Amino acid sequence: MRDQTFRDLRRSMQQSGVAPRHIRRMVLELHDHLDDLKQEAVANGCDPFQAHARAVREIGDQKLLARKFLEHSELRTWVYRYPRVARFYYPVAYVLLLPAAPVFAGVARASMIARWGAALMLSATVTAAMFLAMQLSIALG
Amino acid sequence: MGQTNPPFMSGVPELLLLRLLAQREMYGYELVKSIKLVTSEAISLGEGVIYPVLHGLERSGALKAKRKTVDGRTRVYYSLTAKGKKRLDKLQGEWHRIQSGITAALGVPGNA
Repeated sequence: MRDQTFRDLRRSMQQSGVAPRHIRRMVLELHDHLDDLKQEAVANGCDPFQAHARAVREIGDQKLLARKFLEHSELRTWVYRYPRVARFYYPVAYVLLLPAAPVFAGVARASMIARWGAALMLSATVTAAMFLAMQLSIALG
Repeated sequence: MGQTNPPFMSGVPELLLLRLLAQREMYGYELVKSIKLVTSEAISLGEGVIYPVLHGLERSGALKAKRKTVDGRTRVYYSLTAKGKKRLDKLQGEWHRIQSGITAALGVPGNA
Protein backbone atom coordinates (compact mmCIF):
# COMPACT_ATOMS: atom_id res chain seq x y z
CA MET A 1 0.00 0.00 0.00
CA ARG A 2 2.89 2.35 0.91
CA ASP A 3 4.27 2.44 -2.63
CA GLN A 4 0.86 2.94 -4.25
CA THR A 5 -0.40 5.89 -2.17
CA PHE A 6 1.43 8.59 -4.12
CA ARG A 7 1.66 6.77 -7.45
CA ASP A 8 -0.56 9.30 -9.27
CA LEU A 9 1.32 12.24 -7.80
CA ARG A 10 4.65 10.72 -8.82
CA ARG A 11 3.42 10.08 -12.36
CA SER A 12 1.94 13.56 -12.69
CA MET A 13 5.21 15.17 -11.56
CA GLN A 14 7.26 12.98 -13.89
CA GLN A 15 5.06 13.95 -16.84
CA SER A 16 5.45 17.63 -15.97
CA GLY A 17 9.23 17.45 -15.94
CA VAL A 18 9.90 17.84 -12.21
CA ALA A 19 13.51 16.79 -11.55
CA PRO A 20 13.69 13.11 -10.46
CA ARG A 21 15.60 13.90 -7.24
CA HIS A 22 12.80 16.22 -6.10
CA ILE A 23 10.16 13.61 -6.94
CA ARG A 24 12.02 10.89 -5.02
CA ARG A 25 12.50 13.08 -1.96
CA MET A 26 9.00 14.52 -2.06
CA VAL A 27 7.41 11.05 -2.15
CA LEU A 28 9.70 9.87 0.65
CA GLU A 29 8.80 12.88 2.79
CA LEU A 30 5.09 12.43 2.12
CA HIS A 31 5.29 8.79 3.18
CA ASP A 32 7.02 9.82 6.40
CA HIS A 33 4.43 12.54 6.95
CA LEU A 34 1.64 10.05 6.31
CA ASP A 35 3.13 7.65 8.87
CA ASP A 36 3.26 10.46 11.45
CA LEU A 37 -0.37 11.41 10.76
CA LYS A 38 -1.43 7.76 11.05
CA GLN A 39 0.36 7.40 14.37
CA GLU A 40 -1.36 10.55 15.59
CA ALA A 41 -4.77 9.24 14.47
CA VAL A 42 -4.20 5.85 16.11
CA ALA A 43 -3.15 7.61 19.32
CA ASN A 44 -6.46 9.52 19.13
CA GLY A 45 -8.42 6.26 18.99
CA CYS A 46 -8.79 5.51 15.26
CA ASP A 47 -8.34 1.97 13.99
CA PRO A 48 -5.51 1.49 11.44
CA PHE A 49 -7.82 1.68 8.38
CA GLN A 50 -9.56 4.83 9.60
CA ALA A 51 -6.16 6.26 10.51
CA HIS A 52 -4.83 5.67 6.99
CA ALA A 53 -7.90 7.21 5.33
CA ARG A 54 -7.74 10.23 7.63
CA ALA A 55 -4.02 10.69 7.07
CA VAL A 56 -4.42 10.57 3.27
CA ARG A 57 -7.22 13.15 3.53
CA GLU A 58 -5.09 15.44 5.68
CA ILE A 59 -2.12 15.24 3.32
CA GLY A 60 -4.39 16.85 0.74
CA ASP A 61 -5.48 16.46 -2.85
CA GLN A 62 -2.63 15.01 -4.92
CA LYS A 63 -3.59 17.04 -8.01
CA LEU A 64 -3.32 20.23 -5.94
CA LEU A 65 0.04 19.07 -4.60
CA ALA A 66 1.34 18.44 -8.11
CA ARG A 67 0.06 21.88 -9.17
CA LYS A 68 1.82 23.53 -6.23
CA PHE A 69 5.02 21.81 -7.23
CA LEU A 70 4.70 23.08 -10.79
CA GLU A 71 4.38 26.66 -9.52
CA HIS A 72 8.07 26.31 -8.64
CA SER A 73 9.54 26.17 -12.12
CA GLU A 74 13.05 25.95 -10.65
CA LEU A 75 12.22 22.39 -9.52
CA ARG A 76 11.77 21.21 -13.11
CA THR A 77 14.60 19.80 -15.20
CA TRP A 78 16.33 22.35 -17.40
CA VAL A 79 14.90 20.75 -20.54
CA TYR A 80 11.43 21.80 -19.38
CA ARG A 81 12.57 25.19 -18.10
CA TYR A 82 14.39 26.15 -21.30
CA PRO A 83 12.77 24.10 -24.09
CA ARG A 84 14.19 26.33 -26.85
CA VAL A 85 17.75 25.88 -25.56
CA ALA A 86 17.17 22.13 -25.31
CA ARG A 87 15.87 21.99 -28.89
CA PHE A 88 19.06 23.72 -30.07
CA TYR A 89 21.46 22.00 -27.69
CA TYR A 90 20.61 18.36 -28.37
CA PRO A 91 21.18 18.34 -32.16
CA VAL A 92 24.45 20.30 -31.71
CA ALA A 93 25.59 17.97 -28.93
CA TYR A 94 24.86 14.92 -31.08
CA VAL A 95 26.74 16.35 -34.06
CA LEU A 96 29.77 17.07 -31.84
CA LEU A 97 29.65 13.80 -29.94
CA LEU A 98 29.14 11.45 -32.86
CA PRO A 99 32.72 11.67 -34.25
CA ALA A 100 34.10 11.52 -30.72
CA ALA A 101 32.19 8.35 -29.85
CA PRO A 102 34.91 5.91 -31.07
CA VAL A 103 37.52 7.89 -29.04
CA PHE A 104 35.35 7.71 -25.91
CA ALA A 105 34.80 4.00 -26.52
CA GLY A 106 38.56 3.51 -26.87
CA VAL A 107 39.29 5.43 -23.66
CA ALA A 108 36.63 3.47 -21.81
CA ARG A 109 38.19 0.18 -22.91
CA ALA A 110 41.82 1.37 -22.73
CA SER A 111 43.04 -1.49 -20.51
CA MET A 112 41.50 -4.13 -22.78
CA ILE A 113 43.00 -2.49 -25.87
CA ALA A 114 46.43 -2.30 -24.11
CA ARG A 115 46.28 -6.00 -23.22
CA TRP A 116 45.26 -6.88 -26.77
CA GLY A 117 48.10 -4.73 -28.16
CA ALA A 118 50.66 -6.30 -25.80
CA ALA A 119 49.54 -9.81 -26.76
CA LEU A 120 49.77 -8.91 -30.46
CA MET A 121 53.27 -7.46 -29.99
CA LEU A 122 54.40 -10.54 -28.08
CA SER A 123 53.10 -12.94 -30.72
CA ALA A 124 54.68 -10.83 -33.51
CA THR A 125 58.01 -10.85 -31.63
CA VAL A 126 57.89 -14.65 -31.19
CA THR A 127 56.98 -15.15 -34.88
CA ALA A 128 59.81 -12.80 -35.98
CA ALA A 129 62.28 -14.60 -33.70
CA MET A 130 61.24 -17.95 -35.21
CA PHE A 131 61.67 -16.59 -38.76
CA LEU A 132 65.06 -15.17 -37.79
CA ALA A 133 66.15 -18.50 -36.32
CA MET A 134 65.01 -20.30 -39.48
CA GLN A 135 66.86 -17.79 -41.71
CA LEU A 136 70.01 -18.13 -39.60
CA SER A 137 69.85 -21.92 -39.67
CA ILE A 138 69.49 -21.85 -43.48
CA ALA A 139 72.29 -19.29 -43.88
CA LEU A 140 74.70 -21.05 -41.53
CA GLY A 141 73.68 -24.60 -42.39
CA MET B 1 -11.25 20.27 7.20
CA GLY B 2 -10.47 23.78 8.47
CA GLN B 3 -11.01 27.12 6.78
CA THR B 4 -9.06 27.73 3.61
CA ASN B 5 -6.54 30.57 3.64
CA PRO B 6 -7.41 33.72 1.65
CA PRO B 7 -5.58 34.57 -1.62
CA PHE B 8 -3.44 37.33 -0.03
CA MET B 9 -1.70 34.59 1.93
CA SER B 10 0.73 34.01 -0.92
CA GLY B 11 4.26 34.31 0.45
CA VAL B 12 3.17 33.73 4.05
CA PRO B 13 4.07 30.01 4.09
CA GLU B 14 7.61 30.93 3.03
CA LEU B 15 7.91 33.55 5.76
CA LEU B 16 6.60 31.20 8.43
CA LEU B 17 8.83 28.32 7.37
CA LEU B 18 11.93 30.52 7.36
CA ARG B 19 11.01 32.00 10.75
CA LEU B 20 10.51 28.58 12.35
CA LEU B 21 13.66 27.14 10.82
CA ALA B 22 15.65 30.12 12.12
CA GLN B 23 15.06 28.69 15.60
CA ARG B 24 16.09 25.08 14.90
CA GLU B 25 16.15 22.45 12.18
CA MET B 26 12.87 20.59 11.63
CA TYR B 27 11.21 18.07 9.31
CA GLY B 28 7.95 18.51 7.37
CA TYR B 29 5.44 17.11 9.85
CA GLU B 30 7.09 19.01 12.70
CA LEU B 31 6.90 22.25 10.68
CA VAL B 32 3.17 21.87 9.95
CA LYS B 33 2.45 21.24 13.63
CA SER B 34 4.63 24.20 14.66
CA ILE B 35 2.84 26.54 12.23
CA LYS B 36 -0.53 25.53 13.71
CA LEU B 37 0.86 26.02 17.20
CA VAL B 38 2.55 29.41 16.75
CA THR B 39 -0.35 30.88 14.80
CA SER B 40 -2.93 29.39 17.21
CA GLU B 41 -4.34 27.53 14.19
CA ALA B 42 -5.22 30.84 12.48
CA ILE B 43 -3.05 29.70 9.58
CA SER B 44 -3.48 26.14 8.46
CA LEU B 45 -1.38 24.93 5.57
CA GLY B 46 -2.35 21.74 3.77
CA GLU B 47 -0.15 19.02 5.23
CA GLY B 48 1.50 18.25 1.88
CA VAL B 49 1.60 21.78 0.52
CA ILE B 50 4.68 22.79 2.50
CA TYR B 51 6.93 20.38 0.60
CA PRO B 52 6.94 22.26 -2.73
CA VAL B 53 7.75 25.43 -0.75
CA LEU B 54 10.54 23.69 1.16
CA HIS B 55 12.02 22.23 -2.02
CA GLY B 56 11.81 25.63 -3.72
CA LEU B 57 13.58 27.32 -0.81
CA GLU B 58 16.25 24.63 -0.80
CA ARG B 59 16.76 25.00 -4.54
CA SER B 60 17.24 28.76 -4.12
CA GLY B 61 19.84 28.13 -1.40
CA ALA B 62 17.78 29.51 1.50
CA LEU B 63 17.53 26.10 3.16
CA LYS B 64 19.72 23.06 3.50
CA ALA B 65 18.19 19.58 3.58
CA LYS B 66 19.80 16.52 5.08
CA ARG B 67 18.63 13.03 5.99
CA LYS B 68 18.99 12.25 9.65
CA THR B 69 18.02 9.27 11.77
CA VAL B 70 16.43 10.20 15.09
CA ASP B 71 14.82 7.59 17.38
CA GLY B 72 15.14 4.95 14.67
CA ARG B 73 13.35 7.01 12.01
CA THR B 74 15.11 8.57 9.06
CA ARG B 75 13.71 11.93 8.07
CA VAL B 76 14.66 14.90 5.94
CA TYR B 77 15.56 17.80 8.21
CA TYR B 78 15.67 21.38 6.95
CA SER B 79 17.86 24.14 8.33
CA LEU B 80 18.35 27.80 7.48
CA THR B 81 21.42 28.94 5.55
CA ALA B 82 23.03 32.40 5.62
CA LYS B 83 21.16 33.19 2.40
CA GLY B 84 17.94 32.04 4.06
CA LYS B 85 18.60 34.33 7.02
CA LYS B 86 18.93 37.30 4.67
CA ARG B 87 15.74 36.27 2.87
CA LEU B 88 13.93 36.03 6.22
CA ASP B 89 15.08 39.52 7.25
CA LYS B 90 13.88 40.91 3.92
CA LEU B 91 10.49 39.16 4.11
CA GLN B 92 10.00 40.23 7.73
CA GLY B 93 10.73 43.83 6.78
CA GLU B 94 8.27 43.66 3.88
CA TRP B 95 5.65 42.03 6.09
CA HIS B 96 5.92 44.73 8.78
CA ARG B 97 5.68 47.45 6.13
CA ILE B 98 2.54 45.90 4.60
CA GLN B 99 1.05 45.21 8.03
CA SER B 100 1.52 48.87 9.05
CA GLY B 101 -0.05 50.03 5.80
CA ILE B 102 -3.07 47.73 6.14
CA THR B 103 -3.52 48.64 9.81
CA ALA B 104 -3.40 52.33 8.94
CA ALA B 105 -5.89 51.83 6.12
CA LEU B 106 -8.31 49.84 8.25
CA GLY B 107 -8.00 52.23 11.17
CA VAL B 108 -7.59 51.41 14.84
CA PRO B 109 -9.35 48.12 15.68
CA GLY B 110 -12.80 48.83 17.07
CA ASN B 111 -13.30 52.05 15.06
CA ALA B 112 -14.23 50.30 11.82
